[in-house]
Amino acid sequence: MTRVSPGKYLPYLLGVLVSLVLFSVILSAFGYDAVTSMEGLVSGSFGTTFLASETFFLMGPLLLAALAFLVPFRARFYNIGVEGQLYIGALFGYLAAAQLGGFPSAVAIPVMLLAAAAGGTIWLALPLLMRIKLQVNEIFPTLVMNFIALDVVNWLTAGPLKDPLSGNLQTPALPQSTWLPALIKSTQFNVGVIVALAAAVAVYFVLYKTVLGYEIRASGASPRAAQSGGVNVSRSILAVGLMSGALAGLAGIVVVAGVDHVLAQNFSPGYGYQGISVAALGSFHPLGIVVASVLYAALSVGGESLQRSVAAIPIDLVYALQAIIVLSVLVVEKWIGDRTGRSR
Amino acid sequence: MVSYGDLTISILAASLPLTMPILYAAIGEVYAERSGVLNMGIEGVMSLSAFVSLWVTFSTGSYPYGLLSGMAVGLAMGGLHSFVTVRIGINQLIAGLMVYFLALSLGDFGYVIVTKTTYLHVRPISPVQIPALSNLPVLGPILFSQNVLVYASLAVALLLGLILFRTTWGLKIRAVGENPEAADSAGINVNLVRHLCVITGSTLAGLAGASLVLGYLGLYATGDTLVAGRGWIAIVVVIFARWSPYRAIAGAWVFGLGYSIAAIFIGSGLFSDLGPGSGYFLLAIPYIFAIVFILLFHRGTKSPSSLTVPYKRK
Repeated sequence: MTRVSPGKYLPYLLGVLVSLVLFSVILSAFGYDAVTSMEGLVSGSFGTTFLASETFFLMGPLLLAALAFLVPFRARFYNIGVEGQLYIGALFGYLAAAQLGGFPSAVAIPVMLLAAAAGGTIWLALPLLMRIKLQVNEIFPTLVMNFIALDVVNWLTAGPLKDPLSGNLQTPALPQSTWLPALIKSTQFNVGVIVALAAAVAVYFVLYKTVLGYEIRASGASPRAAQSGGVNVSRSILAVGLMSGALAGLAGIVVVAGVDHVLAQNFSPGYGYQGISVAALGSFHPLGIVVASVLYAALSVGGESLQRSVAAIPIDLVYALQAIIVLSVLVVEKWIGDRTGRSR
Repeated sequence: MVSYGDLTISILAASLPLTMPILYAAIGEVYAERSGVLNMGIEGVMSLSAFVSLWVTFSTGSYPYGLLSGMAVGLAMGGLHSFVTVRIGINQLIAGLMVYFLALSLGDFGYVIVTKTTYLHVRPISPVQIPALSNLPVLGPILFSQNVLVYASLAVALLLGLILFRTTWGLKIRAVGENPEAADSAGINVNLVRHLCVITGSTLAGLAGASLVLGYLGLYATGDTLVAGRGWIAIVVVIFARWSPYRAIAGAWVFGLGYSIAAIFIGSGLFSDLGPGSGYFLLAIPYIFAIVFILLFHRGTKSPSSLTVPYKRK
């Protein structure tokens, strides 16, 4: 599966090509200039230092959210609840950060990140236990917990934690010592990306270089065979669940402590769900999704630029394109795989 | 001063129209899953069909055209989902989520374009006052003064339950979902049955979206704030309805009640003295219901054996 062959990247190129053709057709159908719009997507995501920094910032939460979906996916545990875990992680991170004002960044930031990871894991605990102890399929509990998490954060940011001096539904600002330092001065590009990349490498190492990782992949490939081969499948699922919740919590806090500097209502435009797209686009491989997260972030930032541009193309069309790309890549990949006898 | 008796009647009376879209979507999902295909896209399909049916009815003034166009949207999205999952065989969960994103963003896109020039809204279909019965105290407003789409949703549930459990078509569908190999050797075209079930199911999700907007709300909102989780809830309903359209009536009603309690309490302001933002607790009610129901009823629920497994002839 890790073997590199020349044909390996063909599905992606073909998939992206197919979707761009489809996208052009849709654009033209609505009277937009397809070529200018495509150029706008590229220049609008990498054209200036500011836009590029926004793209690489956005890569952080997307990559972490994608990892949070990918790790349990490899053990056939489908965590659709990354969005909710991300909100609760951000909440825990915020609560910790608010107490850490007197500490230097070198202490405050790691403690805040740990708190966020714990928050994400706590929000996944109920569905995880339901799966391990009661054999309840996790898809719906994790999904439903998203909506409850959103209501919890909405309530806190409108009520008990609301900044009384702000007209917005948000908390007061985090102490400056907990802000993730910018990598390029006065841009959004900050340490959050490093956290995300380090997490991707760590996930790669755990999945492919450790016994636990082998057991996780075995549990996912064939739970019954793994069980009879001496792998404790429940233990694998517990392990991926704990990692997944923690990664989701980090995805939330890198936005709050990296850019927003407050915990605001609806601060995530669905990073938790977008992470699923990114994971699929990266072929469910921790290094593949690093590339996928850049592409996905660029499309989002480019889409926002297009919306602000003269053509004022609603960003929803770019969201549609993102879904079309993932579907096309998966379809082409499967189609080619079936015909060349490679199965996954 | 709010009377608790009146409040209860309001909640129950509003629960049926709020049950209707969940019920249509849940029956559709029962068919898809009974044949062995999970469709996680229905939340998005409902949103897109809600926009399209609202737009068509607003432009033509015709409710039937609106309903039909909503169903056409469901049919088309069902065709896409069954193509990628049944014909090609990609992961059904991921495919469904992508259909959700695609449909949702297309609906929002259309809405943004159309509302540049107009404010889209329709008057929801009026209730039918059933003679004599609608004048009954308590039961009258709850059961006998609903609109035709509400009554139709119950009829569709009964009819599709009958087809699934009492006809050879239904037998074939269940055979395909439980044991596709055996069904194939018995001469059933497994993938054809699946295509038809997914498309039927998605068409019902289209009807669900259309009924929500034409039969209840009368307007559209972007960012999935309109369907607001009803499509996801419908999939949860399927589980503890144990893949039966009949039991889906009860299941959908429980959540209709949850949405109704939230809507009426927020409207009545009864909880406003609990502090700012406390209304969000009420919005969480249907979802807390869902978790509790999964915990209570997970025992003995067994999904169709081949659910999410693509079928390839040996």
